[in-house]
Amino acid sequence: MDLWQLLLTLAVAGSGSAFSGSEDSSEKPKFTKCRSPELETFSCHWTDGVRHGLKNAGSVQLFYIRRSTQEWTQEWKECPDYVSAGENSCYFNSSYTSIWIPYCIKLTSNGGTVDQKCFSVEEIVQPDPPIGLNWTLLNISLTGIHADIQVRWEPPPNADVQKGWIVLKYELQYKEVNESQWKMMDPVLSTSVPVYSLRLDKEYEVRVRSRQRNSEKYGEFSEVLYVTLPQMSPFACEEDFQFPWFLIIIFGIFGLTMILFLFIFSKQQRIKMLILPPVPVPKIKGIDPDLLKEGKLEEVNTILAIHDNYKPEFYNDDSWVEFIELDIDDLDEKTEGSDTDRLLSNDHEKSLNILGAKDDDSGRTSCYEPDILETDFNASDVCDGTSEVAQPQRLKGEVDLLCLDQKNQNNSPSTDTTPTTQQPSIILAKENKPRPLLISGTESTQQAAHTQLSNPSSLANIDFYAQVSDITPAGSVVLSPGQKNKAGISPCDMPPEVASLCQANFIMDNAYFCEADAKKCITVAPHVEAESRVEPSFNQEDIYITTESLTTTAGQSGTTERAVSSEMPVPDYTSIHIIQSPRGLVLNATALPLPDKEFLSSCGYVSTDQLNKIMP
Amino acid sequence: MDNKGWSLKAGSLLLLLLLVSDLLLCQSVASLPICPSGAVNCQVSLRDLFDRAVILSHYIHNLSSEMFNEFDKRYAQGRGFITKAINSCHTSSLSTPEDKEQAQQIHHEDLLNLILRVLRSWNDPLYHLVTEVRGMQEAPDAILSRAIEIEEQNRRLLEGMEKIVGQVHPGIRENEVYSVWSGLPSLQMADEDTRLFAFYNLLHCLRRDSHKIDNYLKLLKCRIVYDSNC
Repeated sequence: MDLWQLLLTLAVAGSGSAFSGSEDSSEKPKFTKCRSPELETFSCHWTDGVRHGLKNAGSVQLFYIRRSTQEWTQEWKECPDYVSAGENSCYFNSSYTSIWIPYCIKLTSNGGTVDQKCFSVEEIVQPDPPIGLNWTLLNISLTGIHADIQVRWEPPPNADVQKGWIVLKYELQYKEVNESQWKMMDPVLSTSVPVYSLRLDKEYEVRVRSRQRNSEKYGEFSEVLYVTLPQMSPFACEEDFQFPWFLIIIFGIFGLTMILFLFIFSKQQRIKMLILPPVPVPKIKGIDPDLLKEGKLEEVNTILAIHDNYKPEFYNDDSWVEFIELDIDDLDEKTEGSDTDRLLSNDHEKSLNILGAKDDDSGRTSCYEPDILETDFNASDVCDGTSEVAQPQRLKGEVDLLCLDQKNQNNSPSTDTTPTTQQPSIILAKENKPRPLLISGTESTQQAAHTQLSNPSSLANIDFYAQVSDITPAGSVVLSPGQKNKAGISPCDMPPEVASLCQANFIMDNAYFCEADAKKCITVAPHVEAESRVEPSFNQEDIYITTESLTTTAGQSGTTERAVSSEMPVPDYTSIHIIQSPRGLVLNATALPLPDKEFLSSCGYVSTDQLNKIMP
Repeated sequence: MDNKGWSLKAGSLLLLLLLVSDLLLCQSVASLPICPSGAVNCQVSLRDLFDRAVILSHYIHNLSSEMFNEFDKRYAQGRGFITKAINSCHTSSLSTPEDKEQAQQIHHEDLLNLILRVLRSWNDPLYHLVTEVRGMQEAPDAILSRAIEIEEQNRRLLEGMEKIVGQVHPGIRENEVYSVWSGLPSLQMADEDTRLFAFYNLLHCLRRDSHKIDNYLKLLKCRIVYDSNC
């Protein structure tokens, strides 16, 4: 029984303690707020921490201590007034209050300190709410919808504002009666403030609160003031201000239209172009450079058919038209004052220029003159395209003409011009003149050939194409097609003076010569002589040594080859059979099958197309 | 077109200049000189002097409050300074009135002198506060700028107060009494805790004293200028 009682009490005590332990924190008294409303007195409040119905054993006490004259009074004094400020509070009247003096207070319960706080009185100032709120009507708007009022109040009575002991700042708040959100106004120092723009048909609530000017903590709000404004006059406008959408739209459209007109005026020209595009001027079609590059003869022929002077039959019959070599850069010739010279040279220059121009723009109408076009092809006299089988014959045929003119002129410069002609040949070798042009130009060269040939000085060594077949150890380049002698051997002089000319030619720096010429030189001269002549040529600084020349030397050593070579026209591209010596090459003359008609050249160039026909 | 643009530019520049000058003027609190320097018989009215003094003292108190709050927020959280810091300020030795009755009983000349003493006492500490805050680790700009401003305004207020005293009590010139501040060594302590506590203490004292001076001046203004009827 005793044991049961003990257990029961223990259980009850335990539960009781458990209960108390769980609510221990809430039961503990704590300071809630210490406040001084006017900087003269202050009061402190605390929570009791007592559960309903249950009271703690000990009562709560407040002790305070304050420093005076730099020393703490050692003993804690008890609160002087537990009553005046309400329950669970301690009120310090003005005799106990010292401003700017640190205070410490503590809360005790059953002898034990439960809470402690330290502060200075000027830090805890929270004024009372203002009193005596009232309002007066200032004015009513013209529309009769809105009104302004002036709200006035009195400072809290306990705050000694008059003596300036405390300075207060006020904040006003107002709202419509059925609204939930208060509108705040800026804090003011004065005790009256105007409130603007209140609607006449609504009721408003106004309240004010204050704080010390130096602090940030506001006091309580005053009582609410109800503002009932006079009713709206029946003549007042009913409609409220509505956003003038209509006006805005109108003005917006107007503005946009203005901007559009300005834009149109400023960009008149451009808009005109957009709306009414100009009619394109018809372009006169010329020769498409691409056609020329591709080598499509038929199209070019059709294009050129518009020209009067073009005779395709003639072209078809005679494929190997002699090309007249013109000397482009020879300025010395111009010093000679024959009219024909100048005329021819001018034509030549012009033709060259136009030829160049033609390549660039085929649509140019002004430059396109049929007459000038014909003279173009005089310049394209290289062994490209057509080999010059007929050349020697042609040369011979026109020798008389040439001789006639030539004798009139000075032949001596022919030798002089030869070195210089070397250069144009080299230069022109690099030019890629289109073949059809040359082919078609040959017929025109036929016509003008006599005029051209009359001027031996205008015989230019223009090689358009030269195939490099080999490079000698000496560093010279061996070109395969042996052209006719560009040294400007005038055909007139050739027959009688072929020996001397040969010698001269060989001595000269120009190594291009046709096999025919070379043969002439060789056949005329004795065997040894030719050799001797030939050899010196090699001794000299020949830049180009043609296979012909090499062939001739080789042929000398072996007559059989020579015989073969003399009989058959050696093709331009011959394969090298053996290399016997540094100076000897045996060419395989029979290697290439010779085409019937086209490839009848003793010297001259084989075009790539023809070469393709030759070689499978 | 060019002229128009130029004139517009000039106008805007002028406006900008005006604005800037206005701002500068507004910033310097109560610095409008009514008496040009060098004038002999210029007399600013007592009312104006007091108005300016009150404005200055209010400004100083606001700055010191903010400075203290900044410091408290930054450095003093969780250190329990407030319990320790019921401290002694170096100006406590000056027997200033501690409540309204005492303040009302004291004669206004004495009160003026007291104010002067307190202001003088703060010259030195403020100067050292600025230098020490500058040398603080991550010197907080908010605190430093306010310290500099307070130092300057304090000097100005002192001048203003001396002028007021000259007007209220011409001829009487008391000895320059002020309480000496000896807290510099603690501000320069190596131990961070001690040093921070010294700062806290100083800023707390500054806030308190600035509030005191503000209050006294407002009281005096109402008493002298408005005859106790503010």
